[in-house]
Parts: sequence; structure tokens; C-alpha cells
Amino acid sequence: MSNFIVKKVAVLGAGVMGAQIAAHCVNARVPVVLFDLPAKEGPKNGIVLRAIEGLKKLSPAPLGNKDDAACIEVANYDDGLELLKGCDLIIEAIAERMDWKHDLYKKVAPFIAPDAIFASNTSGLSITALSDGFAAELKARFCGVHFFNPPRYMHLVELIPTATTRPEILDQLEGFLVTTLGKGVVRAKDTPNFIANRVGVFNMLATIHEAEKFGLSCDLVDDLTGAKLGRAKSGTFRTADVVGLDTLGHVVKTMQDTLGDDPFAACYKTPEILTRLVAAGALGQKTGAGFYKRVGREVQRLDFASGQYVAGGGKADDLVVRILKEKDAAKRMKALRDSGNPQAQFLWAIFRDAFHYIAVHLEAVADNARDIDFAMRWGFGQKLGPFETWQAAGWQQVANWVKEDIDAGKALCSAPLPAWVFDGRSGVHAADGSWSPARKTNVPRSALAVYGRQPFRAPVLGEGAADGSKGGTTLFEDESVRIWHQGDEVLIFSIKTKMHAIGAPVIAGLSRAIAEAERNYKGLVIWAADAADGGAFSAGADLQAMLPLFMSGGVKAIEPEVVRLQQCFQAMKYAGVPVVAAVAGLALGGGCELTLHAARRVAAIESYIGLVEVGVGLIPAGGGLKEAALRAAADAKGNDLLQFLKHYFMNAATAAVSKSALEARQMGYLKADDVIVFNPYELLHVAKVEARAMFDAGYRPPLQKLVPVAGRYAIATIMAQLVNMRDGGFISAHDFKLGQMIATVVSGGDVDQGSLVSEQWLLDLERKAFMELLNHPKTQERIMGMMQTGKPVRN
Amino acid sequence: MSKQLQDAYIVAATRTPIGKAPRGMFRTVRPDDLLVRVIQSAMSQVPGLDPKLIEDAIVGCSFPEAEAGLNMARNAVLLAGLPNTVGGVTVNRFCASGITAVAMAADRIRVGQADVMIAGGAESMSMVPMMGHHPSINIRAFADENIGMAYGMGLTAEKVATQWKVTREMQDQFALESHQKAIAAQQAGEFDDETTSVEVIERVPDLASGEIVVKTRSVNRDEGARADSTLAALGKLKPVFAAKGSVTAGNSSQTSDGAGALILVSEKILKQFNLTPLARFASFAVRGVPPEIMGIGPKEAIPLACRAAGITQDQIDWFELNEAFAAQSLAVIQDLGLDPAKVNPLGGAIALGHPLGATGAIRSATVIHALRRRNLKYGMVTMCVGTGMGAAGIFERM
Repeated sequence: MSNFIVKKVAVLGAGVMGAQIAAHCVNARVPVVLFDLPAKEGPKNGIVLRAIEGLKKLSPAPLGNKDDAACIEVANYDDGLELLKGCDLIIEAIAERMDWKHDLYKKVAPFIAPDAIFASNTSGLSITALSDGFAAELKARFCGVHFFNPPRYMHLVELIPTATTRPEILDQLEGFLVTTLGKGVVRAKDTPNFIANRVGVFNMLATIHEAEKFGLSCDLVDDLTGAKLGRAKSGTFRTADVVGLDTLGHVVKTMQDTLGDDPFAACYKTPEILTRLVAAGALGQKTGAGFYKRVGREVQRLDFASGQYVAGGGKADDLVVRILKEKDAAKRMKALRDSGNPQAQFLWAIFRDAFHYIAVHLEAVADNARDIDFAMRWGFGQKLGPFETWQAAGWQQVANWVKEDIDAGKALCSAPLPAWVFDGRSGVHAADGSWSPARKTNVPRSALAVYGRQPFRAPVLGEGAADGSKGGTTLFEDESVRIWHQGDEVLIFSIKTKMHAIGAPVIAGLSRAIAEAERNYKGLVIWAADAADGGAFSAGADLQAMLPLFMSGGVKAIEPEVVRLQQCFQAMKYAGVPVVAAVAGLALGGGCELTLHAARRVAAIESYIGLVEVGVGLIPAGGGLKEAALRAAADAKGNDLLQFLKHYFMNAATAAVSKSALEARQMGYLKADDVIVFNPYELLHVAKVEARAMFDAGYRPPLQKLVPVAGRYAIATIMAQLVNMRDGGFISAHDFKLGQMIATVVSGGDVDQGSLVSEQWLLDLERKAFMELLNHPKTQERIMGMMQTGKPVRN
Repeated sequence: MSKQLQDAYIVAATRTPIGKAPRGMFRTVRPDDLLVRVIQSAMSQVPGLDPKLIEDAIVGCSFPEAEAGLNMARNAVLLAGLPNTVGGVTVNRFCASGITAVAMAADRIRVGQADVMIAGGAESMSMVPMMGHHPSINIRAFADENIGMAYGMGLTAEKVATQWKVTREMQDQFALESHQKAIAAQQAGEFDDETTSVEVIERVPDLASGEIVVKTRSVNRDEGARADSTLAALGKLKPVFAAKGSVTAGNSSQTSDGAGALILVSEKILKQFNLTPLARFASFAVRGVPPEIMGIGPKEAIPLACRAAGITQDQIDWFELNEAFAAQSLAVIQDLGLDPAKVNPLGGAIALGHPLGATGAIRSATVIHALRRRNLKYGMVTMCVGTGMGAAGIFERM
């Protein structure tokens, strides 16, 4: 085998993108040195230092753990270039000026190590032109690597080779980007703005154009082109405001400058409204005004005609909303096209423009249709890519409609659809791959070794591959759970309920899976089939499902369920084979407790873990507080227990949720030897590897033993804080009660400091407190409120 | 009336500058080192005095643990190079520890059992946080009648603000004036007589060279006063102790590091060593109040101390009223009808800082030197005390 290990990355340019890319390297435990110009005043690395300070304040947070900002090494081009020699990947991310980039390249080239990969994060300049003037040997190691903002969260990275880039460099880089940084890589051709911005910005321009044509206001357009289309909530204009209207203007300008012979060239004209806003200094969110303006609590929209900001909040017509809710994609598209409603016609028009554009440009900008769909899904937050949308709506039918519109002069340009569109196909994605007009064949998925780590690749509509909800061999399945395997000695347990909520059937299923794994498998992995698709690991106990039982039998009827939950989690903890929780997304309340009882946690970087029970007026009763007491005792190693218990108490009492797996580790929800995975598509693979390795290493469950608790000393000291918060009006009397109960459980009850207790003792404390709360009117108010509105009640 | 055999006179009174905690100039300086410095400085001000005659060193400290633990007073005596026959005791009455130490030292002389005493106070809030490293409250405090025992000081200030109707605006105005007075006093050199400079030594690893870089600098100026403080800036701060409260970081005392020391002697010693007394210790009083309104404590202690000294409140020319919080300071001033012009003429703890147990000793040095400079007769050091007390001590210029 041959390894490609990136020992150190250099990022040139500490702007918004450069600094965040450096931050994400640190998240991934990749040493990184961040460069910028030497500061004219103050410390020489002042520019970089300020950028790093800025990282701590940015939202959403680029760093999984703010303290790690200090891990970014700082340097400047005056006296830091020697550091480049120790870097095996150099990413340039300075301002989008060819001349500036060339100047910098001249300066750094002598310091680039002989085997290092050199890449530019340019969002649209020609990679080939950027490499002009390089020695041939450096040209072979140069390519584009285009991250999307914010780079920690946007899955897409476009990888752009030139004609001279050595292929193995790209393969190595792809492996690093996919596994280490967790990104979704799309290989793009070296054409202006590459794939995602080329198509995405065209969509934006087309949307603005059609909105004007149909006389729709920006708030209405955003309502129509946001979540209702399965796209980013911010829709079109709000997205532009977030991106920055000047930035958008630059990208459009690149298209004007470089795409003169494009049949859609006329569409690349900067919309007049954009020119006006930029001239007025209204650059979007960063200046407080753009297409929208926040006035106090109100968000006003720009009225295109008058140029004034007026009340916003426009919503789609009911008729259109009903059309968009139609499940059958073909019927939905037809209804939009056939409707006389201007909003529906507008939507058809932007679909038509998008289909027209990607069909005409596919051959030039991408190898195959899948790459355009992935680029739009991962770079622009679309649930379904444009080709997928077309194919789902009926390829030929839609193609004919588009053609009709082109012929009728309704489309944005008269360029005909390419002939392959009408070659009798039913789409561009099929079981054998996705259509490549250049190669005139369907191209299968990349066979790079790194993808062997993805048991279920990102699905593509029309490909027909089994996904994680159906793949493998099922041993048991009901409405709530699936117990299955992939023929590799590891059993998998998947929860099927909404948000993977845990009710009695899930507990029964888990108990069954544990027993089965102990009999016939090396380990059990708890994994959600939609883990890579933003699904929850588990949002916690299924309150809704408990309601009928509560109504008929009251609190007494619930207690046996809680006992079963506790027993099941204990069985999992002490199972004879390792149980590995493969966590991604939300792991809240009971979901958090489920992870805490696993022998190991393999967590995606985007894991949001916390004990949030106080939000519904309850306290954790599935062993969450018991585990807190145990972990504190283990951490304390005989030292003052309260010092180690405090933050576990705070976590539960304030319903704190980690904003990353790294933070979850700091909070104590992940242990030091738990594994953090950056690519959610690799989660299952890594979890299975862990389970097998643990078994093969001779796994034995932990020994049960008595643990020291902090007792009444800790309760009193925590209570002193709570009293101040209550009497200072920061928390309600019920919050105080909940805090006191949590303090009591994590401290092991009103016993002497240092008393030794069993896990069952702690579980009993949890359960008794839980039952008392369930009977409490304030708690019942919170539960009902949460079930009815989804929002916590403050009482 | 007190029954005493003889008077106790202060012949030296000094203090360190006050550093901000936990990130100020003394963040790496141990409180016992600060204490050693002021004891040595005080001794150097009475060069003829035979140190063997010192009976005991009584030192106040609010959180006498960790760096301030192990009976800091005795350790400081030894580290200061005093004869090992000199005793040392660390006493704690929270914020009144320092003035209590002075009173206790004076009393040893006044009852005729000692002729030379050291009194002082030292606190490092940088090294030992408020409540200490291992706070532990008796669970029985949560019974309703004692709930105030569990209250943080800020919350008690909120209770006082509400009960005495002290508004946010009044508190911020008071805070602003504290800063303005302190800045003016610094510019006029008003603290020069009382201040002992401190050598701060920092030992920082230089990773590049592998050497320890030792940096030494001398500091002699209080760190807390802000010339740029404005009502607008103070008005923007959020209340910290109550959701809808009025007490902010800006109108509360600052957390601080510092130490102070005084040398007290009998009349016999004055004559024997031909010493010039700075002041006579006139009286001391302490009085408890409900813990949840501890800030009002001075209101009870001040009249008692005046009575013990045989004077009226009007005869006090200078009040060092510890500004634990603007809210409680204003309530005390208002209820006792104190003349604002006589209260903290050089600014108070809101600007200058409040190193808890050291404050009483530090402000004793302030008032003693101020009385001399201004040719005034009676001065008082008074403060509120956590868990509900007020304390006051009176000095008479000689």
C-alpha cells in the first residue's frame, strides 16, 4: 500500500475563506500554518492574528472547539516563507485577482517542497491561467481546490485539474478531502466559475430576471424558492444578501468577462437592481441592507420599483403551496406549467431556465450529470439536483416542454437543447452511471479507494442503488426498528421512528439486537440510515407515544417503561460484545443517554449531543445523570469530586447541546478514546471497524463497581448557585426544582461525601425524581407545550 | 465606653498598589509576598524600632487558603526577616478582616499586654477566587430564615437597591464619580505617601531559546481607575446578579490583589524610641444585619464606633466607606445622612479595587495619611461584610 499523509497544510491568505479553511484543518487535527501579508503596524503577524480572533466570533462557528484557534500557526510572507518547506499541501486563498495571485506565486514558489501539492481556492479564475509561468514540475502538482462558504459546513469541494496536473495528485488530494476533511468532492473542468457557481449564479440571475418578468417581490420569491422547493431556507435574494452583493457582482463580472460566446451571455448582464444596491453601499447582511433591511425587529424588503424598503413577509399563494406539496414529481411539474397562477408560472420558468442551462452546458463544465447534481446539492443546499429534478418529473415530457418554450421564445436564449436530450433516454442517471456527453456514455461512480469507506454512497435519483434503510440483510424489522448486517460479522441496529425517537418498541428492538449480537456477532453498531443526510441519531424519548399510557394509567403506568429503558441501556453497557454508537446530528435526551451507554462512540463532527430533558420539565432518567456521576468519579481520581461534577451538572441543568463532536468531547459526552469522523458517509464503516477491532482485541465489558459520590456537600454547594439564580430572577421556581433534583441525583443523594453507591442506586434516584416530576403540573405544562408547538415552555 | 489602660498609636501605615484580578499586574504575585513587602516597608519607616519587641502580627484575609493559607501571617513574619519570636495570626471577617486585624492589634496594646504590634491584610483574588477553591455551604442554610447565607454579594446589593430605592442611574453616577475622584487623586499624587512600590517578577519560558526569561518591573500605581469611564458606557452594562436588576460590573467594586500593613505601638514605645505617631486608634465596632441585605451593615456599625470613640458622626472628617457596591454605599450615605464630600474623597473600591481582606488595612493607610495631609482630626474606615455585618474603625490624627 502507499499512504498519502498530509503532515502539514499551509493556507495563504487569512481572509474569510482562508482562515476558515485553516480552522477546519485544525478541527480535523491537521497542523496548519496560516499566512497573510505582514502588518504595517503592530506585530508582524497582526493580520493573521486578527483573522484568528475573528474565527472565534464567526457564526456558524468554523472551529469545533474555540480553544483550538491557538493551534493555527501564524506567519507572514516577509519572514515566514521558510515554514512552507515543511508543508505538503499549500492552499492559496487570497483575493480574486490574477495579478496578485501571480505575484504571490512567484514569491512562494522557491519555498514549496518538492513533493508538495499546490492548490488555489479561487472560485472562478482559470486554474490553467493561474499556473502560467510555473516550472513544468510545479505545474504537475498544481490544481484548483474550491471550498464553499462556510467550509466546515458546506459539503462540497470542487477539484479542478489543468491539462498538466498529475492524476495521482488529484486522487491523493481527493482522499484527503473526503476522509480527513469530510468533504464531498466533485471534479470540475477548468471553465469559468467551475460547476456550482456557474450553475448556481446563473440560477440566481435567471430567478431575478423571471421575478421581474412576473412582477414578484423578493420576499415572495424567497418563500417560493426556499424550503418549499427543497432548497436552502434563505431562498434566492436572502442568500444573495448573505453572500454579499458585491461578491455576487464580482462573480457575475467574471462571467461577463469570460463567457462572451456563451449562448446565455445576455443573461450575465448585471441586474440593474444589483448595480443600484452596490452603488448605494447596500451590500447585504454585512452592511445591514441589501434586498432586505432589518429595521428594529422587522425585516423589510426592497421594493424594486420605488427602491424603498417596505414591509416584507410575503407568502406563496395557497394554490401554489398545494401544488408544491404534490408527491408525484411529474404531476407537480405539470401542474406548475399548466397553472395560470403567475407564481406557478414563475416556478416553471426558473425550472425551465435551469434545465435549459444545464443541458446546454453539461458537456463543457462537467464530466457527467451526477457532478452537476452533487455540486448543486452540496454547494447550494438543494435536496435534489437539477438533473434529478428533471428526471423525476419525467425526462422526455419536460424536455419537450422546455423545447416548446425555447421555440416560442419564452426561454432566456434560443440555444436548442443538445441532441442527446432527445435520444429516447428516460434520464441522465441510471444503474450503470450518469450521462457524460463528452464520453457519450454513462459514467460510473469514482472507484477511488477512499470510497471503499462509504458503505452507502450519496444516493443519486435514478441510480436505483440500495440505501442504508434497505441495504444489507435484514434479520428483523418492524415499524420502529431494523436489525440487519452486511455480511461482515457486525450487527447493525437502526431506528426508524420519526427523528428516531425512542419508545417502547425501540427499546424492545434494541434488547433483541443486543441479545442477537451477543449470540452471533462481533459487535453491534447503532446507526441511523439517514446519518449522512442530516438525520438525527435520536431526538430522545418518544413523549407522544407515551401519552396514551399516561392518560389511561397515569404516572404509575409509565414507571415500568422507564425501568425497561434503564435495564436495556444497562444491558447494552454490560453486553458481552461491544456496542458502538455511530452518532451524527442530534443525540438529545434519551438519544444522548443511548450514546453514553455504548462501549464506544464514533461521532460525526457535526454531532449535537445533550441532555435536554429540563426543556420539558423532566430530568434524564435513562442513566444520563448516573453516567455523569460515574464519569465525574472517574475523572476525579480521588480528588475533590465536585470540581469534576460541576460541568456535568451544568450540562444537564442548562440543557446544553454540543455544537460539534469536538465540543461534545469537552463536555464529557464523548470520551478521549471515542472516534470523531469527518465524513458522515464514512460513519458506519468506521463504527464497524471499531466494533470488530474491540472484539478482536478480546473485548470484555466493564466491571461493575461501587463509585464514590459527592453527596450532600455537593448538593448544598450547587444549591447555593441555584438560590442566587432563582432569587435573582434568572430561573423560575420550577427550574430551581429541576436543578435541585439534578444536583441531588448526580451527587448520589443526601448522603455523606465520599459514600460508595451502585449504578442501580443512581438509577433509582433518577427514576424517582422523574416520576415525581411527571406528576407535577408545571412539568405537564411543559410537555404539552412542547408537543403542541415544538417549543419549550418557560414556566 | 471602652476601658483601656493605654492608647495604641500608629507609627507606620503603608500598602501596595492595588492590582486588578484575575488578570492584572499582580496575577503572578503571591499574597504572602505582597504582605512581606508591606511589612518590610512599614518596618523601614520606623528604623529605630527594635523588631524583637513586636509581639504578634495580625493579618486579615477573606479566603485564607492555598497561596493565602497555612497561616499566611506567620509565614510572612518569617519571610520578612523578622525575629522568629514574633507571632503571626491570620484572621477572617471577610471584607472587614483588615480593619478587624488593626482593631485586634490595637486592643492588645490598649489592654496593656503588648507594646508593639503589626496589623495588616493581604488578598490575592487572582490566585484564590471569591468563595475559595472549594466552596462548601452548610445545607442547613437553605432553611428560609437563613437563605441569605447562600446569597452572592451582588444579589444582596440588588436587595438593598430595591429596599432603599437606589436607582441604576444613581449607582452609575456614583461609580463614575468614584473613577473621576480616583483619577484626580492619582494625578495629584495623593496616594504617594501611603504606597509602597512592588517589584513584580515574571518568569516566562522562551520556547525558542529554551531559557526562562525573567522580567522585573516596579509598580506603584493602582490599576483600576479609568479616566475614560462615562455614564453612557456604564449605562450599557448588563445587570449580572438579577435578571431585572441594576447592579452591574461597572457599579460594583473591582476584584483585586493587594496588601497593607500598619505598626502599632504604646505610648511607652513612642517615648523610648522617639517615634512620631501618625494617628491614635480611637475605636472599632461591628454589628450584624440580615445576610440578604449585608450591604447596609455600616449603617449599624458607624454610630457604634462613634459612640465608642466618644464623638459624634459630624466630627468625622473623612470616611473611607468601602464601595462594595454603589447601591449599598448610597443606601448607607442616605440613611445616615453622611456628607458626600467627606466620603471617599480619593475615590473608592469601584475605581480603586477591593482586595477583600486587605481592604481594611489598605484604607487605614489611606485615611491616616490623608488626615495628616489635610490637617483633619478624625477619620473612619468602614465597610459592609458578607453574611451580614458592618464594621467601622476610627483614627485620630496626632
